[in-house]
Amino acid sequence: MSYAETEVLIIGAGVLGAATARELSRYRVDVTLVEKNVDVGWGITKANVGVVNQGKDTLEFRPEYRRSHLLWRSLAMMEPLCAELDVPFRKVGGWEMCWDMKMKEKLDKLARRTESLGLGKDRFYWYPELKEMEPNVSPKILGGLHDPDIAVVNPVYLTQALVENACDNGVHLMLETEVLDMKAGHHWFEVATSRGDFRARYVVNAAGEWVDKIAAMVGADDFVLFPIKGYVGVLDRRCEGLVNGLVSVLPEEPGDMNIVVPTVEGNLLFGIQLQINRRGDHSTTEHMARKALENARRLVPDISRENVINAFCGFLMLRNYEIGWHECEVGMSGRVPRFINMTIGYPGVSASPGAAAEVVEVLRKDGLKLEPDPKFNPRRKGIPDFSRLSDKEKSELIRKDPRYGHVVCRCETVTEGEIVEAIRRGATTLDGVKHRVRAGMGRCQGGFCGPRVTRILARELGIPESEVTKKGGDSTHLSCRVKDILGKEEGDG
Amino acid sequence: MAERIDVAVIGAGPAGLAAAIAAREQGAERVVIIKRSERLGGLLPQCIHNGFGLLYFGEDMTGPEYERVFMRRAEKAGVEARLETMVLDLGEGREITAASSRHGYMRFRPGAVVLAMGCRERARGTLGIPGGRPSGVLTAGTCQRYVNIEGYIPGERFVILGSGDIGMIMARRLTLEGARVEAVVEIMPWPGGLIRNEVQCLHDFGIPLLLEHTVTFVHGEGRIAGVTVARVDAERRPVPGTERFVPCDCLLLSAGLIPENELSLKAGVELDPVTGGPVVDENRQTRVPGIFAGGNVVQVHDLVDWVSWEAEAAGRAAARFADKGKMPFAGKVRVSPGENVKYVVPQYISGKEDVTLHLRVTRPGRKAALRLGGKAWKRFRSVRPGEMIIEKVPVARLSQFISGGELRVDCGRGETGEEA
Repeated sequence: MSYAETEVLIIGAGVLGAATARELSRYRVDVTLVEKNVDVGWGITKANVGVVNQGKDTLEFRPEYRRSHLLWRSLAMMEPLCAELDVPFRKVGGWEMCWDMKMKEKLDKLARRTESLGLGKDRFYWYPELKEMEPNVSPKILGGLHDPDIAVVNPVYLTQALVENACDNGVHLMLETEVLDMKAGHHWFEVATSRGDFRARYVVNAAGEWVDKIAAMVGADDFVLFPIKGYVGVLDRRCEGLVNGLVSVLPEEPGDMNIVVPTVEGNLLFGIQLQINRRGDHSTTEHMARKALENARRLVPDISRENVINAFCGFLMLRNYEIGWHECEVGMSGRVPRFINMTIGYPGVSASPGAAAEVVEVLRKDGLKLEPDPKFNPRRKGIPDFSRLSDKEKSELIRKDPRYGHVVCRCETVTEGEIVEAIRRGATTLDGVKHRVRAGMGRCQGGFCGPRVTRILARELGIPESEVTKKGGDSTHLSCRVKDILGKEEGDG
Repeated sequence: MAERIDVAVIGAGPAGLAAAIAAREQGAERVVIIKRSERLGGLLPQCIHNGFGLLYFGEDMTGPEYERVFMRRAEKAGVEARLETMVLDLGEGREITAASSRHGYMRFRPGAVVLAMGCRERARGTLGIPGGRPSGVLTAGTCQRYVNIEGYIPGERFVILGSGDIGMIMARRLTLEGARVEAVVEIMPWPGGLIRNEVQCLHDFGIPLLLEHTVTFVHGEGRIAGVTVARVDAERRPVPGTERFVPCDCLLLSAGLIPENELSLKAGVELDPVTGGPVVDENRQTRVPGIFAGGNVVQVHDLVDWVSWEAEAAGRAAARFADKGKMPFAGKVRVSPGENVKYVVPQYISGKEDVTLHLRVTRPGRKAALRLGGKAWKRFRSVRPGEMIIEKVPVARLSQFISGGELRVDCGRGETGEEA
């Protein structure tokens, strides 16, 4: 039996796997990143609302929790990382608000603790002052604690950038590669995947929603995961400015999350309506949608049903629910040598730079030789965002490449040039294009540009249009050529 | 440097073409259509069914035929076109910023602007249908483009949500292509589109129309596997126990059209929350001087003939504005929707000229009476929200209906009134 060999195998190209791959690509070590989906960042990462620089909320992130330390470690890392990778990063500031004095006491306690931990001093604003900064929040709000460091990123962009940069620095990426089985040997893991077998010295399990199933293959599942589904609604860009930063209310009951947050692109997100749910079921429900909208309107009354242009559900994987709410582990398995689990639960995007650095340390401590690669290039250039360029830049870009003058997606002003570049960087599906350059992300949801993007994908990939999929697998969106369907029926009959 | 032109027309569908031709005929020197795609014309080429031009030409034409006539006229009239050009901004002083792969990045400073961007279909997100996010959920118009232009059929077994005209027309089209349409599901107690489409596209082909039903869940993660259909109560809420699973590999959405007014908003144009289009006067001038609008960008029409007529009015007025450099907004008289009237366009009139009122009723009804200023104007055997009512009112009669700067329009039940 022949095996492909790799020093470190990372399972899962979500934000954690991608950050780890990129961190390891600084060194002369052979790394392979495998991903079940047809694109990167499409699991838990995609449904993350993108709030980063979290951790100062020490009610949620208590000092005794390990994930708090990962978050604190990441605080100084995220902004420079985004700058290196040319990923949009917006420091919008964040609010933890309260309705009444009883809740305010909690906020006071939180602020004192945060300060005593040396994490900085967040100020409490009473409503009249708070209103100056967030004029659209409900006047029923008593006040709120403001953390100026809270920022937003697009988690999928971040993941793509990390993977692109990791690959530029020598990491092997294998998409549509599902890990089917794994055996732990004395020196190697033998890993069977849908794309052939591997031998890996180290395995980093960053499988997100399925992290416990992967761990169970080698008996490293000394934890229980609780899949919690979260509903997030998307508001039209018309609502830009309804909130300026992350607006959230201290939960009245545990797990009762109510936030409204801007994205880097200008849309607002609201949610997160939580429920324990069977894994793999990403469907939204009428109940979740209604509750999330009700909550959001309680907080920001101008949000209306008409401005909801989309909704999605993602999963939080909470670990060892019964012994410590949201505890996480990033580290060597206690049971299986050379097997590293990454189960952060949430907020994984916020904690990703710190978690990746932690994995590198764990590997080094275990004896993996990590020699810095002198050829490592930390920089990656993003796809030009035509709609945000200045007049002069637009003009120059079109002169250089006329395809940037051809607007394909009219809601988000996305040009053919950007779409072709997205495909060059690995988009092979409609969602792949959408999550790189936003074509189809706007209010018409691809109604107009869908057929046009399909045609560009088919042309660039050299496949018939009927083989273009929404998100890989069986998600084709065209059945066959017109008239072929008649032939099919005759054949059947 | 911004290029000076007389009239800029944004959009080149039936509205844009008609507006541009009319502006030229009115004497505007340089009339330029700015158009996103590589050719003039809008969505009509994908509308290969007939029923176009019955009013305008007195002839039964297909979409492509109807459009061709206007294309030829535009050419003859000397209308200029900037193709493959996307308007990015419409700002102060009506300055237009546009980008094009052919002409680069450019600015125009037109004497007047006609907005003719048409409308878009409501997408799944705004309908808020719960469930998974599989492929195979698309709007009826997108499906129409795939089938009639690109030559692909997106599925073999369809459910259509909403009984808008495009949805019903696609139900017939798909059936003719050999696909199966399981049902057209409509949440209201009446169909959304024209009676002629209900009869010719659904009944004639034995396609079930489920009134007071809706899709409550989309099944599937990769490709759609089916939908849950349930009956709704008087408040349009699903009735528990009436749900049933309908397998399908494609869900088409035909649940409403929304005037495309993102650019209008950028230009500071006031929109009517009911029509979704700009507030206009009888000249189709918006609240921003020199910006006119016509066609589906103002109100969603049932028939293209009326799109052309409305846009012609806008085009003529725009040419006059460009010539004189000004034209006051005819805002003396407010036209206000009364009993059983959802909206009336134009929202404002001068009261000094003949006017054509476009209106839709809120509820269907038999023996309805259209009243202007409380006085009987016309009686209808039946009215439906899906059929726009269009009434021409001569200026001589108008004054007797206006009181206190208001023209009230009612369309409730009534016994008295003049026959048409």
